[in-house]
This record gives sequence, structure tokens and C-alpha cells, in this order.
Amino acid sequence: MLGFLTARQAGLDDPLRLRRAESTRRVLGLQLNPDRDVERIHGNGINTIDIEAIEGRYMLSGGADGVIVIYDLENYGGKPQYTCKAMCTVGRSSRYVHKFSVETVQWYPYDTGMFVSSSFDKTVKVWDTETLKPAEVFEFEGNVYSHHLSPIARKHSLIAVGTKNPKIQLCDLKSGSRIHVLQGHRAEVLSVQWSPRYEHILATASADSKVKVWDVRRASGSLFTLDQHNGDKSKASSEAVNTAHNGRVNGLCFTSDGLFLLTAGTDDRMRLWNSATGENTLVNYGKVCNESRKRLQFTVSRGCSPEFVFVPCGSSVAVYALHTGALVTMLRGHYNNVDCCAFHPDYQELYSGGKDCNILAWVPVLRTSDVEEESACTNKSAAGQSSVNPAFQDTWSSDED
Amino acid sequence: MELSQRERLSELVEELTTSGQPQLNQDKMKELKKICKVSNDCIDHVYHTVMSQLNQEHAEIRLSAFQIASDLFTRSHHFRTLLVDNFQEFLELTVETDSEQPLPPPKEVARKLRSLAIQTVQSWQASYGAAYKKLALGYHFLKQVKKVDFQDAEARTIAERRREEERQRRMDRIYKERVEAACKDMEEMHQEIEATLTEMESCMRLLFPDYGLKDTETVGSSPSTSHSANRCPSDDEQPCCSKDVKDDGKEGKKQLRSSKEASNGKGKNPEKDRGKMEQKGNNEEEGNEEKKSEDKEMEGEKKRDGIEQEEKKEWKVKDGEDAEKSNSEGEEEQEEDKEEEEEEHFGDMFIRNSGLISHSYSLDLNLSSGLHVKETEDNEAVVSTVIDLHRLITSKHLPAVHGWVQVFTKSGAEQQLLRRALDLKKSLEAALQKHKELHIDYKARVRKVMKASSDQEEEEEEDDFDEVPEKEGYEPYIPEHLRAEYGLDPSPSTSAAPVTKKTPAKRPAAPPPQSSCSSSSSRQLKRLAEEEQDPTCAAATLRLLKQNLPVPAQTSSSSGPSSEQKPVNAPVVPFGLDLYYWGEEQPNAGKIVKAASQHQFWVPAEVEEEVENNQLLEESRSRYISFPGSFTPVNHFCRAPLGNGKLCQRQDRLKCPFHGQIIPRDQEGRPCRREDRLREEAEERRKREEQPDWRDADLMRDIEAATGENLGSDRVAKKGKGKKKKYPNLSDLKQRANTSRSRLEKKVFNKSTMRRVAQVMSKADGRKHDKFSNQFNYALN
Repeated sequence: MLGFLTARQAGLDDPLRLRRAESTRRVLGLQLNPDRDVERIHGNGINTIDIEAIEGRYMLSGGADGVIVIYDLENYGGKPQYTCKAMCTVGRSSRYVHKFSVETVQWYPYDTGMFVSSSFDKTVKVWDTETLKPAEVFEFEGNVYSHHLSPIARKHSLIAVGTKNPKIQLCDLKSGSRIHVLQGHRAEVLSVQWSPRYEHILATASADSKVKVWDVRRASGSLFTLDQHNGDKSKASSEAVNTAHNGRVNGLCFTSDGLFLLTAGTDDRMRLWNSATGENTLVNYGKVCNESRKRLQFTVSRGCSPEFVFVPCGSSVAVYALHTGALVTMLRGHYNNVDCCAFHPDYQELYSGGKDCNILAWVPVLRTSDVEEESACTNKSAAGQSSVNPAFQDTWSSDED
Repeated sequence: MELSQRERLSELVEELTTSGQPQLNQDKMKELKKICKVSNDCIDHVYHTVMSQLNQEHAEIRLSAFQIASDLFTRSHHFRTLLVDNFQEFLELTVETDSEQPLPPPKEVARKLRSLAIQTVQSWQASYGAAYKKLALGYHFLKQVKKVDFQDAEARTIAERRREEERQRRMDRIYKERVEAACKDMEEMHQEIEATLTEMESCMRLLFPDYGLKDTETVGSSPSTSHSANRCPSDDEQPCCSKDVKDDGKEGKKQLRSSKEASNGKGKNPEKDRGKMEQKGNNEEEGNEEKKSEDKEMEGEKKRDGIEQEEKKEWKVKDGEDAEKSNSEGEEEQEEDKEEEEEEHFGDMFIRNSGLISHSYSLDLNLSSGLHVKETEDNEAVVSTVIDLHRLITSKHLPAVHGWVQVFTKSGAEQQLLRRALDLKKSLEAALQKHKELHIDYKARVRKVMKASSDQEEEEEEDDFDEVPEKEGYEPYIPEHLRAEYGLDPSPSTSAAPVTKKTPAKRPAAPPPQSSCSSSSSRQLKRLAEEEQDPTCAAATLRLLKQNLPVPAQTSSSSGPSSEQKPVNAPVVPFGLDLYYWGEEQPNAGKIVKAASQHQFWVPAEVEEEVENNQLLEESRSRYISFPGSFTPVNHFCRAPLGNGKLCQRQDRLKCPFHGQIIPRDQEGRPCRREDRLREEAEERRKREEQPDWRDADLMRDIEAATGENLGSDRVAKKGKGKKKKYPNLSDLKQRANTSRSRLEKKVFNKSTMRRVAQVMSKADGRKHDKFSNQFNYALN
């Protein structure tokens, strides 16, 4: 740390290096922190959360009961103890509330005045944050599993919508109409994701175990289909050709730079693909438990030197090193399956929501005093700690001598 | 941490968890804590061992491990952090948060573990929840997601509660259906029951009008007289039934001997009744004034005769010769007096009219304190209706009503329905009670019905005869008054009694009992005397026999049954030719007429010759009497002590099938002889050693595990197989419940059975294949 600082001072290092090192350290120190709580609003499982990119202050969450909540993550109290307040809620009492489970929520990438939600009630709603009324409602024939707005798009404002129908729908916010259909999948589309690098590139994952990458300007077909065997015909059986997984593919995530694409499938595997060529990088993440029949929302860290993947894995969140596939740690805190997680790039915090109705905040633990001081301070700190919280005290009764 | 400490800790944890006890051993726990106190390493080690024990698929181990954990949790911060870090798993293993990972058996212990864990988590949350975030999260998870009601004593989860609710709802539905069905039933049956009740009521009234009145004289037929007397004078308008006849008869008597009547007024009948009767009689008198006195007399006689008949039916009539006069009271005596008087006046008339020779009757009355209705020809129809109704009520209505009441009470239906059902039940029971009080005698009737169904014509012929229960074959005891009917000597005390008892069935000439059932026994007697003169009659033979036969040792006892007990020494043999020519030369014994030609018509000229056959002669003189001996009933009991404290009541001759050789035993069933006693004790000991199957140790342990009570399975299990279990204190999970299903399974899914079945089936298949495998060849043509 000090080395980084002096190098930075001396101008030897790129300013990014210090930042990267520090954020990596923080990510590695992620823990469930008693100081940070998220208010319990949802009475049912939480399917999706999204943190807005402009301020990094507001978080959306959608629950299985159709409720959408907006949280304020910023702590202005000055105390370490902070409970994220729910700013506003589209509750069951609201007349605009989704009838069924909300599957995806997303902030409009450029402004917090608008967000989009999709639900099993076969609608995608575009909400006005101020009034909490839908400004636009798109209706579909089947359950909507997923939708996505391109985070970088400047030339279009398309919402890609994956529904029970294998055709991918493109809805234009400008005209408020469905303008385009992408055909190619043979089963319901569980996840759609725009590339953060090229605004016309769209990746879609489907229950037919295929992942397709599209250029929305070209209507005739997909650019390519990801193949887990990289076209090696000898390894693949005839029906397994051009499949990304051996089961349903329900998770998609681009790395922050858009160069790589991560997919997760119900075959308990996670795969890393080169998003430009569609080549399987063959990184082995081991077994990534994935029992979800719906979309799985996972995320990748931003601004760390080796990047990390945060993927829900049963009742915990697994943290993997992106390129080596090494399991860094398991964040255990949920009491039921975790469905979604979102990374806060500014504070290196992770928020995860699960079926136990909790949104847990994983906050980096501040570094304690250095090793040299530690021995001297142990007794004092223990005493001090105990004065603060008697719960941390050992209470051996005297009769056991 | 030293190795010894480590080992000791593992040992302690294992001992504590495999003790199988609901509570931990305090000494061992103290030792454990003492070691744990030394360092965090120890706690680490204990934590891991405890967690591994918690993962065992045995609720008792888990319970003990949980108790250790909860003990240490309150002591050590380090242990708390370790446990809270892995709190999900901990909850899964103790509170059953994951429905796919249910708590292991035994069930009772698992339930206990669950409730204990939930309570403990709550207390932890109260004291440590603020400091340990995951603990608070877990608590909230339990509370909000799993909906564990921490106040609920039973600590049920939402699923359990829902199940309970569902069950309740289902039960409600079932009850509702049942109530509806019962309601419908009741609506339908109500009318019927009411009708039945009314019918019963009226039948009873007919049988015994207003029998709530309980005067001492309501015996036999007297109540009918008193009641008819009680009624209004318009009684005459009633159809002629026995009561009226009787009344009339009395009136007739009254008219004839009014002075006598006055003296009779002192009897037990209240004066009022008498007065009324007299009044009535006077009324009658006025109406009948024109008639001649003679006619009246005749009338009276006839009616009197009717009464006599009736009396015979209702009371047991005995022959005057042998029976002494019994002490009858009150009215009966009066009536007797009357009879005597009548006899004086109308001696020969009486004989002519009634056919009764003997004038001296003794009426034997048994005065029962309660009501008693005897079936007669007159009330036969009514009684049979009553029987039918009674049967209907007991077999159909009452069970149905009981069922309704049960349904209504169980389902908590409306009070009204219940009350109605209860009312019905009450009235039905009242009817039954009434019926019981009436003491209706209908034994004879049942027989008669059977007979009537068998031969109708005979019934018609015998209409004017008394109803006598049909006798079949041998009768050990013939009542005194029936002796005459059987053609027996009226005096049973003669030495011939045993002979006559047995003969009637065998004698071919004996008149069938039915034909002997004449209306009057005196006439029978007379006829008997005549018959005795007639040599062709069986009676004559009998008399002859009686005279001829040597008199056996005097049995002296006149009562039948007592003499029956002793074996009869002299055999009774049927009469035959040899007896007839006893001690004489038989005229043509052993002679056979030999016909030379076998033809029927072509007879040769010479006459048939007689051939003497010695063998035949011998045979005609000799006689085989097969005497198998008579059956002597067994008088002794087995008397071996039974489990319920009684003695075995079996009456086997030599050997009881349950208790072996029958040996003399004392009052308590112990053998009297010493060697018997020793043998029995040895037997007992042996039996106790080989355990009965309900005392099977594993089964008992199962029961214990299920009920949580100690039945002493460990004691039983002690002396068992040589193979020792690793943890003898834990209840055995592998022991499957000894249910009918498991037993069947063992049989059906037995390897050899399966193989056999498979073999047979494959053989059958193979045969089919052999025969028809090429059939497709032909199918195409």
C-alpha cells in the first residue's frame, strides 16, 4: 500500500494502478457487515436488483410478489452504522403494480428519472421514477424473463426483451412500439444482454442451451452461436453442436470492458467466452450450483486488476477470479437460494438478493491495525471491544475450574 | 494444543453425543468446558467435532450435539463466531429449514430437537442478535420466511400448520358431509321410527292396557278382568275377546249365585271394582231379562268352559291325581271355590261339555312381582308384531340413531339436530325398556312358527288342540303333567321309570306325540286305560313288559334328572322273536322253504320242500346286543391358572390342549402333587427364557423411541446376540418397524421369491416365443 502510494507520488505508476490495487484488496475483504443493513420491504423472494450508474446511489429491487422498491445506498449519517432506506415502493396497493413476479429491473442508463421492469404478467413497464407510474407498457404473449437496455447506446434506445416466445423482441423507447424481432432460438429466451462495448451487439441466452450474439442492424440472423467445443465436431454429439451448455442457459454477463462474455447454465457450469470471436476460453470455474429455472443475475467486478465474478451459488455468493477460474471466497449469509447480485463499482460493495427476502450488503472490511501493533493491542482491544459489546465476551463460569 | 487434549475432547464429544440420553452428562460436560477454556484451538476442535456429529443421521446424536453447542455458545465468543459463520447449515441440521433435508429419525427425538433449537435460537437472538449479524438474519429468516412462530409452544413451521389446517378442513368437510347424510337419513327415518314407536305403543297397550298401573293382582289373566271392569260399561260393544267372555261368564255366575258373590267381595279386589262389576252385571241382567234362566245357565256354562280352556293355556294345569294342591291365594282361591261349587251343581253337564273327567284341579300359579305377558292364541298376532318391532328397533333404528348422535356430537352440529336425535334415542330406549318390563314369553311361539312353515295342513287340523312344543327323539325328563300325554304311567316313582323314559322313541307302536296331544289329559287317561286292554296297542305291550321285566335295584328317586346321572347297568333291548319264545322251542325256526324252480308260474308238480338250517336256527335263538356303554359327561375342569387370574374351564377327559395332562389342582390352580408342581415350574422357567416376540428388544426400542418412555428394552437387549453395536445407547434406526407391510415386503421381495417368479414368467414368455415367434411369416400370407 505504502509502496503504491510512494510510486504514485513519484509519478512512477499509472494512477489506475493504485486504484486497481486498492479496489482489489477491498473486494477480497468483502464481508457481511453488521454496520450495513438494507431495509426489509419485500415479503417474498427478490429476483432482481440494479444499481444506477450515474450517481451509484439508488438501487432498484424487484420481488417475486411484483413489488419494486428503490433504496438509497448513500450513507450521509456519518456513522458507520447505516440502514439503506427504501426511498419509494411500488407496493401491492399501487394500481400500477406488476401482477406477478418481477423478473428484471433496470435503470435507464443515463438518468434516474426512468426505469424499466419486466414481469411474469407478460408486460414490460417503463416507469417514471418521480410519479411511480408507468409511462409506457409493452405487452407480450408470454412471460417476460428478461430485458435489457444498452448501457452505452447513443444511436438507439432499444429494449431487448426475452420472453417465453423464442423470438427476441426489440422495443423502441422513442416510438413506444415493438420494432423488431430476432429469430433463431428454439426455446424461451431466459436472458438478454447488450454489449457494453458495441451498442448494436446483443447476446441472448435461451433454454435450448444456445447463446447467440446478434448485431441488431442485421435482421437476417445472429452473428454467431457460441459453441462449447469451439467447433470441434469430434467432441460434440450431433445435437450438441453449437450449444453453449448442456442445459438451459440462464445467465449472461459481459465483462465491464465488453471483451468477454460469461454464461451460466443449469449444467452447473460457468463459461467465459471471447465476445468478439465467440471462442470458448475454457476457463474452469468448477461446479457452480445453479438450480434456477429463471434468469440468474450475476455480475463482474469493475476496476480490479484481476477481475472477479460474483455468481449466486445456492444460498451463497461465490467469488471467482475471472480469468483463472479460481474460487476466491464464498459469501455466506443468505438462508435460501440467492437469485441476483449487483456490484457497486465505486465502493466495491456487493448487494445480493435471495429467496429469503433479504437484500444483503457485502461491505469491504476496513483493515485493522498492522501486525506489529497487534500483539500489544490485543488485550486492550479485547477489553475495549467487550466494553462496547458484552456479547463478544467469553463467559466461562468459574465452577468449571 | 496438545494431542492428549485433542483426543480427550474428541472422546468426550463422542461419548456425550452417543449416550442417547435426553440430557447431557454434567460431569463430562464440565470436563469438556474445562478443556475448552484453555484455548481457542480447543474450541475450534470441539466446534468441528460437534458439527460432524450434528451431521450424523440420527436425531439423538444431533440432539446431544446441539446441547453441547448451545452450552458452549453462551460461553465462548470464538465458538459463537464459528457457529454463526455456519449458521445456515446449523439451522438446516437442527431446525429443519431445508425441506429436502428432514431431521433424521427417531421422530420423537427429532421433534424435541426442533423445538429446543427454535427456543434456543430465540434466546440467542435476544442476547446476541445485535452483535452477530448472521444470527439476526437467521432469526429473521426463521420468523419471516419459515414463519416459525416462536411463541408457539409446539414450535411448528408454517408448513406444519398448513398441514394441520388442511387436515382440520378435510375433517370438517367430512363431518359436514356426514352430518348432511345423517340429517337426510334422519328426515327419512324419522317418520318410520315414529310409526314404529306408535305401533309398538299400541301393541303394548293391546297386550297390556295401561300397564303403568301396578297392583299386586296383575298376574296372569286377572289384570284383564280388573281392567275391563275398570272400563266404562260400553265394554260390551267390544269384539268378543277373552276378557269379555270371562266377564260374561262371571256375570252369569253372579246371576246364579248372587249371595255367593257377596261373600266373595271380601277378596283382594277392591270393593269399588266389585261394585262396578255388580253394576255391570245388573245392566247385563236387565238386557237379558227375557231369556230363560236355563238358557242363561247354559250360557254361563259355555263361557265358563271357555275360561277353563284359557286357564289351561295360561296356567300350568296339572293332573289332580299326583299333584298336591298348591297354595294359591286371593282370587284364584275364590275361583277354585267357584269351580267346586259349579261342580256340585253341574257335575255331568260339565263332563259333557268340557270332556274333563277329573274334577280336582290344582292350579299352580307363579306370582311374579313384575308384569308378565304370556303369549296366547288371542294375542299371538300382536305379540308377533311386537317381536318384529322389537327386532326392528334393536337392529335397525337404535344403531342408526346412535350413529346420528355420534356424528352430531363429534361434528358439533346444531343443537336442534342433536336434540332431535337424542329425543328419538330416548323414546326408542323407552320403548325397549317397556318391552323388557312386559316380560313377554314367546319361546313357544318361535317353535310354532317353524312348525307352521313346515306343515300347514297339520296345523289346521290341530287348531283345537293345545300348543305343545314338539319333542324330538329322546327326552330325558318328562314333566309330571305331560306324562299322561306320552302314554306313561302317571306315577313316576315306580321302578319302571328309567325304562319308560327311553322306550317311547323306539317303540313302533307308540302313538306319535302329536296325536296324543288331546285337548284334555283326563280323556287321554281314560283312553289309555282302554288301550291297555287292547293287546294290539303299544300300551299293552308296555304293561306286559313292565310286569315281566325284573325289577332293577330301586333307584328310589322320583326325580328324573338325578337318576339320569348314574349309568344304567341293565341294558334295555328291543323286543324280538327270541324274547317272545324265551326258553321255549320255536316252532319253525331255521326252516327254509326251498323252491326248486325259480319260475313264477311254471311250478313243478312236487311241493316245495322245507330245509332245516342249523345256522338259522342258532341265529333265531341267539341275540347280539351291542352295548357301547353310555356317555358319561366329564365332571372335572382343567383348572390350570390362566393369565387373567381365572382357572381354565375346559372339560377334557384326559388332556387339555392348552395345559397338557389334567392333574389334580388346588383352589388356586396349583398342582396338588409335588412332582407336577416341579414340572410346571420348570416349564415356566423355560418359557420365560425364550422371549415372546412382543418383548423383542428392537421392537421395544422402537416403541420407546416413538413414545419416549422407557419400557426396559435395554434390559431385554442385554442378553442377546453376541455382536455388539458400536453405540448401544442410541436407538437403532436400521431396525425397521415390524409392520405388516414390512413383513409382507420381506416375503414378497425376498430374493429367492423374486427369482422364482421371474423364472416362471420368463418360462411362460419363452414358451410363447417358441410357439409364436415365426408368426409374422404367416401373417403376411
